[in-house]
Amino acid sequence: MTDTATAETTTLDTRRIGDTLLKIDDISLSFGGVKAITGVSLEIREHEICAIIGPNGAGKTSMLNVVNGFYHPQQGTITFKGEVRSQMKPHLAAAGGIARTFQNVALFRGMSTLDNIMTGRNLRMKSNFLMQALHIGPARKEELEHRHFVEGIIDFLEIEAIRKIPVGRLPYGLQKRVELGRALAAEPDLLLLDEPMAGMNVEEKEDMCRFILDVNDEFGTTIALIEHDMGVVMDISDHVVVLDHGEKIADGTPDVVRADQNVIDAYLGVAHD
Amino acid sequence: MDVLLTIFVDPFLDMFSDPVFFMEVVVTGLLTGVMYSLVALGFVLIFKASGVFNFAQGAMVLFAALTLVGLMERGVPVWVALIITAGVMTILAVLIERLVLRPLVNQPDIILFMATIGITFFLEGFGETVWGSDIHPLDVGIPAESFDFAGMLLNEFDVYAAIIGAVMVATLAIFFQKTAIGRALRAVADDHQAALSVGIPLKTIWIVVWSVAGFVGLVAGIMWGSKSGVQFSLSLIALKALPVLILGGFTSIPGAIVGGLIIGVGEKIAEIYWGPLVGGAIENWFAFMLALVFLLFRPQGLFGEKIIERV
Amino acid sequence: MTDGKDSMARLDTLPKILLDHAAKRPDGAAMREKDLGIWLTWSWSKLADQARALACGLASHGFVRGDKVAIIGDNRPELYMSMSAIQSLGGVPVPFYQDSVAEEMQYVMEHSEVRFAIVEDQEQTDKVLSIRDRCPKLEGVIYKDPRGMRHYKQPGVYSLTEMQERGRKFHADNKDFFTDEVGKGKGDDVAVMLYTSGTTGRPKGVMLSYDNVVITARNANARERFTDKDEVIAYLPMAWVGDHMISYGQAIVSGYTVNCPESSETVMIDLRELGPTSFFAPPRVFEGIITQVMVRMEDASWLKRKVFHYFLDVAKNVGVRLLEGKPVTMMERLQYGMGKFLVYGPLCDSLGFSNIRIAYTGGEAIGPEIFEFFRSIGVNLKILFGQTEASVYVTLQPDDEVWSDSVGVAAPETEIRFDEETGELLYRSPGVFVGYYKNDEATRETKTEDGWVHTGDAGYVDERGHIRIIDRAKDVGKLNDGTMFAPKFLENKLKFYPDIREAVCFGDGKDFTTAFINIDLESVGNWAERNNINYGSYVDLANRDEVYDIVKGHIEATNRSLAEDPNLVGAQIKRFMILHKLLDADDGELTRTGKVRRSTVFERYDNLIAALYSDQELISVEAKVTFENGKEGVIKADLKIRDVETYAAMQKAG
Repeated sequence: MTDTATAETTTLDTRRIGDTLLKIDDISLSFGGVKAITGVSLEIREHEICAIIGPNGAGKTSMLNVVNGFYHPQQGTITFKGEVRSQMKPHLAAAGGIARTFQNVALFRGMSTLDNIMTGRNLRMKSNFLMQALHIGPARKEELEHRHFVEGIIDFLEIEAIRKIPVGRLPYGLQKRVELGRALAAEPDLLLLDEPMAGMNVEEKEDMCRFILDVNDEFGTTIALIEHDMGVVMDISDHVVVLDHGEKIADGTPDVVRADQNVIDAYLGVAHD
Repeated sequence: MDVLLTIFVDPFLDMFSDPVFFMEVVVTGLLTGVMYSLVALGFVLIFKASGVFNFAQGAMVLFAALTLVGLMERGVPVWVALIITAGVMTILAVLIERLVLRPLVNQPDIILFMATIGITFFLEGFGETVWGSDIHPLDVGIPAESFDFAGMLLNEFDVYAAIIGAVMVATLAIFFQKTAIGRALRAVADDHQAALSVGIPLKTIWIVVWSVAGFVGLVAGIMWGSKSGVQFSLSLIALKALPVLILGGFTSIPGAIVGGLIIGVGEKIAEIYWGPLVGGAIENWFAFMLALVFLLFRPQGLFGEKIIERV
Repeated sequence: MTDGKDSMARLDTLPKILLDHAAKRPDGAAMREKDLGIWLTWSWSKLADQARALACGLASHGFVRGDKVAIIGDNRPELYMSMSAIQSLGGVPVPFYQDSVAEEMQYVMEHSEVRFAIVEDQEQTDKVLSIRDRCPKLEGVIYKDPRGMRHYKQPGVYSLTEMQERGRKFHADNKDFFTDEVGKGKGDDVAVMLYTSGTTGRPKGVMLSYDNVVITARNANARERFTDKDEVIAYLPMAWVGDHMISYGQAIVSGYTVNCPESSETVMIDLRELGPTSFFAPPRVFEGIITQVMVRMEDASWLKRKVFHYFLDVAKNVGVRLLEGKPVTMMERLQYGMGKFLVYGPLCDSLGFSNIRIAYTGGEAIGPEIFEFFRSIGVNLKILFGQTEASVYVTLQPDDEVWSDSVGVAAPETEIRFDEETGELLYRSPGVFVGYYKNDEATRETKTEDGWVHTGDAGYVDERGHIRIIDRAKDVGKLNDGTMFAPKFLENKLKFYPDIREAVCFGDGKDFTTAFINIDLESVGNWAERNNINYGSYVDLANRDEVYDIVKGHIEATNRSLAEDPNLVGAQIKRFMILHKLLDADDGELTRTGKVRRSTVFERYDNLIAALYSDQELISVEAKVTFENGKEGVIKADLKIRDVETYAAMQKAG
């Protein structure tokens, strides 16, 4: 569906996929008797783009919530950058290099695009409270440096025109882009995207795909995304994991997964592009 | 007919017949207004940054003033006492965050509001236990001489209070808009979950906000306490701050000042010129009546945020 | 080489003038660009340095005098600089429309025989590479923005910085090369090739010489009093002759500053920040601005609206006279002053028009109300009429003789005459083009032996001494009863209504006039919201009876005004249809500058036209449309056809 590049332009093997960055071991999560995730294990390697797909209610968002600490699993471990944990906490995840976007867009609605993305820089701000309060010296210099970085992101995502507009007033597609910008501002090692293209039209989806690929290509960011558009998934991912009713039913390259009978039965129906 | 004249015409005639006195009333009203604003500021800060309506703000004003007065009465010099009190308010903020806010972080706003009512009773009771229930006069050294300005009789103290109030407002406004911490504060007020996922340390932010509110409360406490002595009715000043918030908008720092000024002037003028008609004491209820009118026509106040929803 | 100094002093080519500026005012602001949120300035010395570096880089790649180079991208200092670099070596820049798809570019790229293409970014690079095999002369693509270009390993793809690096080394080894080359340039050399998008047939390459550009620029600057202190914003396509003169030719000749906006979406915001002294926009843009302002006002409080409309009326009475220096009473002056403080001042500020000394529009007719609106609030908006073949200026309006229905008087050093039979306007001036590239036949058809150019537009001189253009000469036709049928004239009257965005009229050789209408989504959509009318899409809205009623009303008003002219009574529109989709340049129905391509419309919609001239009240359509990304889709709709009232000949009111 998406023409991501004309044949002669990209040399394909330049994304050097590295070692395991995130390992999920036998995770089970239930909410008062309802099993959201049962015994799921998966590995995401550095610099890869991993798509998590499956029918509604399969546990995909819950999985992301476990990774960044909003939900605590009853069983299993999460190993991120070599550190093993039985549960993560949200701001530890953020501090450790995990950034995410949300299905329903969790932006600070009353703040402008620029301010929203600047909050993403929060963890990288080093000067102390008093200096910041007085807006002097190293604090001021740091603020300018962060502003410069954020402007780079604004340029990258082509959202200069809405810099000062409160995000609550933006159309949905642009809000999703701003949210991506905020996640990028944190310079994450792992980017979790929850349905980044939901509700977008063809053009917007193409733009979003382009941004995602560029982020992975230019910054080497590892990306895990939940997505429903099979065309997109097949086109841009290196690795696909299929969940159904809280269990993993397939795990492999897009071609392998597409042909997997379990997957076709549960989700794809007649294999379509 | 006569009645109509007395209500709608005579007071204005009075105003115009002695313009200098009228100006004096206005200026006094403005200065009082600033003092109201100081109290309202504390509310705005906490509401803006943590979405909680802090019922205990008045009690915090009282507690801060009591602590200060108590220390001074025991011979501690003014400046040291100020620093210690500021420290005490910070510790109070830490305690509130740890014991009240943290356990209730995901509860609906009404629960947090009830918790602040609890804090109020605690602070009032605790204050009474430690410092006693007498009225304590407070003098931090702000000159209180009356002086003549363009034919008006004013008090130095009120002028100082106004200046201090203005400086506080300006500083806080800049702080919120321009600094990274200010931005983090606004983010927390907007959406806790999102703030967490961006790595903003909720706990630290809350401590910061409540400490600053405590410090603002301290300044308000000093002003009011110097004027009428530190006593328990001080916490009732918080009630007067409510109309200020309704007029100015709950989330607006400049709104707190403007609202305070309007209430201050309105009250004074109503009292002096219409007071005699109804036997006095308009001052007590004028502010609330004005607030009621605003609630009917412009509930978000003059400066508050109209919620802009995209459909 | 011996008359090098004299040659340079003649200042007859743009590169020579550029170097002159670099020597005389090295630190002056030549261009500005907003990057990452802040405005960065290119001084004249920086501009000259960069141009020299690129020129030498190209030379080291085998560039020779007479080579042509494509320029493709948004308005960026680097691309204007590239044009200077190419011209310094005696080459010819050929700017392309950056929004064209690869297929459209291929014809021009092949025809113009460009050896290199200097492009803005990855998107443009991809387009060029995709048609490379059909452009045999193309040797290299040079890109400015490295984003996304890391993996491009094809031969012949270079970055601009890389080229300039090589250039600097070349220059170090050949110190005199650059100045020598610039010195070799002459006034009658070809300076630039601009392809006209043309309403019919294939684009033609208009060759303009340095004399054309420089002399016209000097004349225009003198007449309109441009100095090096002026500021303009460059946002219109570089391939369009207007931008070439305003943001390049005139800019270099006078030394004023050209500002490049951050992106095409931020133009309005940047305009506000810059407050330029001069501004050009097609009539559509000015119309759009008014619509936006009016829509915003509808949302404002009752008090604001009352104040706004009150002072707008004041402006209507007083403003234009004030602007033109005509007498006004003290009272009127006072009222206007208040209006300025409360309304016009803040309004101009928010639009970025506070410093405008002259604003121009042209290319299409402009509705009188729109014209008066801007002039009454103090924006000196004037009309100009021109062509690529004229280096823009054919007629200009003096500051104090500005009317919406004229195009002014002859531009400096321009002679004008009208063909007696067809009324076609011909002109002769120093700006007349050299010829069409590789198309002597077309050149002969357009330019006579003694240098008169056929414009293809019919017009006359009116009682004020101003020139009026009626229509394209070949479009002026006749209805079956002999009434003159000038489609553009009718269409312009219809388009004056904000609700009507585009109109195409038919009538030549027919019994009566009919029309296709495109509604304006913003204006009509706004009305629909206010009246609680729901609609799902443009097609939906365009098909509603209520909307048809509104349009019918506008057409009837137009008919009434036609009825006042005995010559035009027979031209009243009898039937109309609202189209299901906007006429679009991407679909070939409009040119890239927004003019209707009549032959394409006749061909493509012949069944709809036939329906208009039948009794049918409804017709089904299925249309292929091309989306912005080049993909195709299909729209289906049932279009209604409605009759309109016509009127007997009337007396003009008052």
